Amino acid sequence: MEFFVVQLLNSLSYGLLLFMLSSGLTLIFSMMGVLNFAHASFYMLGAYFAYQISRYVGFWPALAIAPLLVGALGAMTERFGLRTVHKYGHVAELLFTFGLFYLIEEVVHLVWGRAPVDYRIPQALDFAAFTIFSTSYPAYRVFMMGVSVAMLLGLFLLLTRTRIGTIIQASLTHPHMVEALGHDVPRIFMLVFGGGAALAGVAGVIGGNAFVTEPGMASAVGSIVFVVVVFGGMGSLAGAFVASLFFGAIQTYTVAMDYSLLDLAARLGMGIAADSPVRGLLSVSVAQTAPVLPYLLMVLMLIVRPTGLMGTRET
Amino acid sequence: MSAPALELRAVHKSFGKTAIINGVDLSIAKGERHAIIGPNGAGKSTLFNLISARFPLTSGDIVLHGEPVTGLPPQEINRRGLGRSFQITNIFPRLSVFENVRCAVLWSMGYRYSFWHRVSALRAVRERADEVVSLIGMERRRDRLAGVLSYAEQRALEIGVTVAGGADVILLDEPTAGMSRSETEDAVELIRTVSEGKTLVMVEHDMGVVFGLADRISVLVYGRVLASDVPTAIRSNKAVQEAYLGAED
Amino acid sequence: MTLSPFLRRLGLWGITALVMVVLPLLLRQGFALSMLSQMGIAVIFALSYNMLLGQTGMLSFGHAVYYGLGAYFSAHALNAIGAGKLGIPVTLLPLVGGVAGLSFGIVFGYVTTKRSGTPFAMISLGIAEMVAACALMFPGFFGGEGGIATNRQVGSAWLGITYGPQIQVYYLIAGWCLLSMIAMFALTHTPLGRMANAVRDNAERVRFVGYNPTRIRFMMLCLSTFFAGVAGGLGAINYELVTAENVGTVVSGNVLVMAFIGGVGHFFGPIIGAVLVSFLQSALSSYTQAWLLYFGLFFMVMVLFAPGGMASLIMIHAPVVRAKRMGTLALPYLVSGLLALVMLAGLVGLVEMIYFLETGAEVGKPLKLFGLALMPSTTGPWVGAMAVMLGGAAAFAWSLRLVRDAWARVHAYLQVQEGL
Repeated sequence: MEFFVVQLLNSLSYGLLLFMLSSGLTLIFSMMGVLNFAHASFYMLGAYFAYQISRYVGFWPALAIAPLLVGALGAMTERFGLRTVHKYGHVAELLFTFGLFYLIEEVVHLVWGRAPVDYRIPQALDFAAFTIFSTSYPAYRVFMMGVSVAMLLGLFLLLTRTRIGTIIQASLTHPHMVEALGHDVPRIFMLVFGGGAALAGVAGVIGGNAFVTEPGMASAVGSIVFVVVVFGGMGSLAGAFVASLFFGAIQTYTVAMDYSLLDLAARLGMGIAADSPVRGLLSVSVAQTAPVLPYLLMVLMLIVRPTGLMGTRET
Repeated sequence: MSAPALELRAVHKSFGKTAIINGVDLSIAKGERHAIIGPNGAGKSTLFNLISARFPLTSGDIVLHGEPVTGLPPQEINRRGLGRSFQITNIFPRLSVFENVRCAVLWSMGYRYSFWHRVSALRAVRERADEVVSLIGMERRRDRLAGVLSYAEQRALEIGVTVAGGADVILLDEPTAGMSRSETEDAVELIRTVSEGKTLVMVEHDMGVVFGLADRISVLVYGRVLASDVPTAIRSNKAVQEAYLGAED
Repeated sequence: MTLSPFLRRLGLWGITALVMVVLPLLLRQGFALSMLSQMGIAVIFALSYNMLLGQTGMLSFGHAVYYGLGAYFSAHALNAIGAGKLGIPVTLLPLVGGVAGLSFGIVFGYVTTKRSGTPFAMISLGIAEMVAACALMFPGFFGGEGGIATNRQVGSAWLGITYGPQIQVYYLIAGWCLLSMIAMFALTHTPLGRMANAVRDNAERVRFVGYNPTRIRFMMLCLSTFFAGVAGGLGAINYELVTAENVGTVVSGNVLVMAFIGGVGHFFGPIIGAVLVSFLQSALSSYTQAWLLYFGLFFMVMVLFAPGGMASLIMIHAPVVRAKRMGTLALPYLVSGLLALVMLAGLVGLVEMIYFLETGAEVGKPLKLFGLALMPSTTGPWVGAMAVMLGGAAAFAWSLRLVRDAWARVHAYLQVQEGL
């Protein structure tokens, strides 16, 4: 029970973090048709920028400055990169973001090295918020959830209460109609791309110190976010939200479960001979399947339901 | 009497709640040149998309040469002898004119998915493709990429690709749309040649073309066939004049 | 004198074969030989990848799955030969890789080719990640972190060929490379190959000329996975070690980059790409730690400014060469090229200095670059490098006008020629 509750909180904070990434990616993907490979790179940049800035002026200013910097970078990426390759078609756009992903990783190697950097949670939040049974729960995790919820609330209000938000929502499902109505679609693309990058930057600032800030973090998180977006469905923020929490839970729980089919068989009283050919397959523990599970689920989803969980149209 | 080349029985098509085709019955005899006319939005192109299985039917049946083909995939219907062109030019832009035509010839010559024949060594294929290239009057453009042709040339190639496979029922969707007077005349001549001895169904807005080519005309209004008859009868049909022709002049 | 296309093609393959035979005799260092072997494998792999991207219009992010599985099965087969359980000659081992690649191609391809475009790209990536994750789950087959080691000197020597010396391995790779190139080229001229191009151009229309585009995509994927597996088999023989990285996304990305940089629109594009990228990877990585960065920049420049790759850069000059008008372009190209090098030198200076500081070089020691001894701890070199880079960039941007003007003249000339 204790395990369950603690993991529930962990998976919730992780899932919310994922949604900060996947919401931006879904918006970009649905509006522009570009699956931005470099989206998680902005997450990584958020973490590194925050680390660098907090060394000079502390964590709290970094929480504000780093995402703004990342957002500006994102907007520039759209303005000077994607818009240039747009005329060559989707493959070129995909390759551009693919190249950007590699480039950002290399720049991070160049500037901050290959080893993890010492980006720590601020002293002010380094205490136990409460105790569940015998486990004390860190305050920083609570703070993460708070920031995530606040950002998402902001996003929700922006999308539902403002004019630009309405246009963005409309272009999620009907990208061509919006242009036909005379809106400056390239400018909206730039804003959404910058905004999405900034949101990923926020996630990087609060996630980088909770987990670890290292050059591999972009590809580790990136592939999960990618799965979340595809699984949740094109053009659906709600789908991305559900999928974020779902995969947050899957990843958190499976990693901690060290059971295998072999254990199950043993418990059911079925002995499997040590030299049996299926033994290798059965001895794989749930924890070991954790890395495969998201991709397996994604592939299955794409086969069974190409629109994704709550998607409105095919990609 | 032999079975009609193409028959539509109570064909319905709805997109969501909107009914586009509302019970169309149509019978087109072998060797007939049949034009479908009607105001914009009457469902003419949709009807073609249903016949060629680009879209699935909501209900009804389509019968080709006496055999029901409802629910078959487009390629299967094509193999049974139905070729169609598109209103918006739909060719292979990065292949040459000759290769465009050759792609349309290969299946009917029985080479299917072969990866053991060398296409350049297939004399019959080459000859048939060149025959079609000269039929559409594009010998001088034979090795040009289709994507860089002029509009009228692309329209001619569109027809070439449609007929190259030897289909005996040919559907042409607005073959002269957007053409100048002289281009239209050439196109009419081309259509006449390629449909020689075959069954032709075409959607067309240009009444000169329609009355010049068609043996029979069907008028489609709001997803229903208002009238289907020989040109002179259509011209004098009161209902048609009211619904459509009258509005033109 | 004009030769028939067939004879001309035969001559071209003959020359290719000759170059492959002679090259290792000219470059006698061991370094060159291992690089040539690597190139041969890369050429097969990149061409097989282009059967998807360039010929059928399928962007795959998971082609390494077939290369890697081909390599694994070949390594296991090699070990089985060594243990006397399997009786096939090492020379034919790449076939084992090919069949393994093909088998997985049939299974995965059946699933992936039902979709096209971005969904295909996504499913291919999903499957690649899945296989990569599986590689660590089943250490029995994949060998865990260490991979599967093998020994190619097994079985009985035939005509004294033991595959001990690298030169014998090179000729094995060269032979398979030539065969595969010819086979893949021939495939582009078959009904399936031509229809694959049609699917790439306009999959919908293909359905209305009697073909099922899904079937075409599936068959092309299967054939391409066979060649990817052959490349994997050769990799197993060449390196005598297969690790989980071989099925990973880095290798998948690499082959995509090779094909793209070489140019996916022409058959020979990926060959150029594979040779060039293999060369850069070996050459740059021995000079600088920042080579991945330079490589990434190079890739981005290609994506932004030359999406047709090297092959199309070459091919746009073909009519100019034929009209003997390269002279007009030569000088502007030379000027622009030199200025680009100046800009690049500045950039390289900056990057190398950052790396120098970051990797914690000993204080007070200079960085040797372009024959200069730079002291990154002082501001002088930074200002200098920055000035060189920005000055070079400005001058380069200006010189592009010369190139554009020259091209305009050439175009005008060609148009007149064509009109006559």
